[in-house]
Amino acid sequence: MSTVAWITARGLFGRRRVLLLLPLPLLLVGLAVLCRSYDVNPADWGAPVLVGLGLAVVLPVISLIVGTGVLGSEVDDGTIVHILTKPLPRRDIILAKLGIAIGVSAVTAAVPLFVAGALADSARLGLGLAVAAVVGACAYSAFFLLLSLLTRRPVLLGLVYILVWEGLLGRFVSGTRVLSIEQYVITIADKIAPTAILEAKVSLTVSVVMAVIFVLGCTLAAVDRLRSFSMAGETS
Amino acid sequence: MPESSVIHDIGYQRYTGPRLGRGAVFGAIYVHGLRAAYGFGRSAKAKIFPWLVFGIVALVAVILAAVRAQLGTLPLNYIQFADAMSWLIIFFVAIVAPELVSRDLRSGVLPLYFSRPLRAADYIGAKVAAMVTAVWILLAGPQFIIFLGGAFTTKTGMSGVWNEIEDLLPAWGYSLIWALLFTGIGLLIASLTGKRAFAAGGIVAVFLMTTPVFGVLSILPSSTAQDLAGLASPMTLVSGVGQWLISGANTGMRIGEFGPVYAIEVVTLIATCLLLLLARYRRVASL
Repeated sequence: MSTVAWITARGLFGRRRVLLLLPLPLLLVGLAVLCRSYDVNPADWGAPVLVGLGLAVVLPVISLIVGTGVLGSEVDDGTIVHILTKPLPRRDIILAKLGIAIGVSAVTAAVPLFVAGALADSARLGLGLAVAAVVGACAYSAFFLLLSLLTRRPVLLGLVYILVWEGLLGRFVSGTRVLSIEQYVITIADKIAPTAILEAKVSLTVSVVMAVIFVLGCTLAAVDRLRSFSMAGETS
Repeated sequence: MPESSVIHDIGYQRYTGPRLGRGAVFGAIYVHGLRAAYGFGRSAKAKIFPWLVFGIVALVAVILAAVRAQLGTLPLNYIQFADAMSWLIIFFVAIVAPELVSRDLRSGVLPLYFSRPLRAADYIGAKVAAMVTAVWILLAGPQFIIFLGGAFTTKTGMSGVWNEIEDLLPAWGYSLIWALLFTGIGLLIASLTGKRAFAAGGIVAVFLMTTPVFGVLSILPSSTAQDLAGLASPMTLVSGVGQWLISGANTGMRIGEFGPVYAIEVVTLIATCLLLLLARYRRVASL
């Protein structure tokens, strides 16, 4: 574990801030247990809970908060200067930060999705959802990390992506699905555990290739951006 | 022996003009907050997001007005229009609320504010009033566009215009409920952190995570649970109140006989959020 990773992890978890990550996963598991205990047909509650809450809200929102937080908050505070002036390759800085972001968001999203999936159908569906969530966490984290280097308002831009691009356009305009991480996640989970709950709308090849492109492309772009990063003062 | 000391007059002057009281401070914070919400007096970058949202909502209203002018029927009525824009309202709240309160927390200017004849209630009141106005304008302005479209193309003269006004005024009241509830929740979350990024993320997370709760409750095998499901989410809560108060709202909400429950929850929720905000600013030193 490099020191940069250690500092990043402490910035995320320190002073009980880790508790803020708990409500969303707990809500996901709680709803699944509630539906299970009332014997509601999983075909009815699977889609709103697993897709509507799990894959459309919990995974992207947690990845957004964590992914923009690892680097964006240091840019905001100006403490990134201390890291940049150390004799470390910029690549190592990005990789350490990205590793922490992926690890935290993957665990926070995959564990409750596994439990909810197992309650809905079978452990196989839970496993499929968990694997897909890990892939999604990698792609989302890399993307949002890059955003936090490109703009001063990364969270708002990330919200536009989640709410407008994936939420509104992804549902009505079929062409945008090829560039929607949420659709890759749904497809991968559906291919691992075929059920009636999930409905894949893009092919498996497209989702795997595009997810890899997202991760590698965004990471490389972020490293490149950090190489020539200039500190700007507080903008309005 | 030192010489006897002398006090030199170095020209400090006393202020002898009029001193404005709490009311003026309140008004100044209100006007400043309302301008900041739409990015006036800020750089062009600060105007992008609020005007993007306002532009989309206005565009939808223009399209609706144009469709009615051509076909004679309105695809969405005023109430349904506000409901259909709910995601954009959430996004707008996530932009504006951190702008209004998180910046002050982060830059540590609150002790300066409260060194004036200003109470915590004035500060909160002005911020809440500014944001309610901003959110209300976001909905009421486009609703007025739809109204103008209807009023100018009406076939029945003044009585047609009067019918439109009778539809518009309750809708403006309905938009005010939206604005009050979303302002209360949004400002409360934003006041917890000085980081605008975390505040925006937190607001969206809180609003979005309630929608699936409503989705699950509304498929539970119990008629009462289905009627009360709307209480779980702010968006459906407001729709339920509109359904109960305004005849012909057609929000599609199932509220059964529980209309008053919805109204009570809206009032309680708004009051609770405002009281918690006041409690948050009770001790400025700890901010």
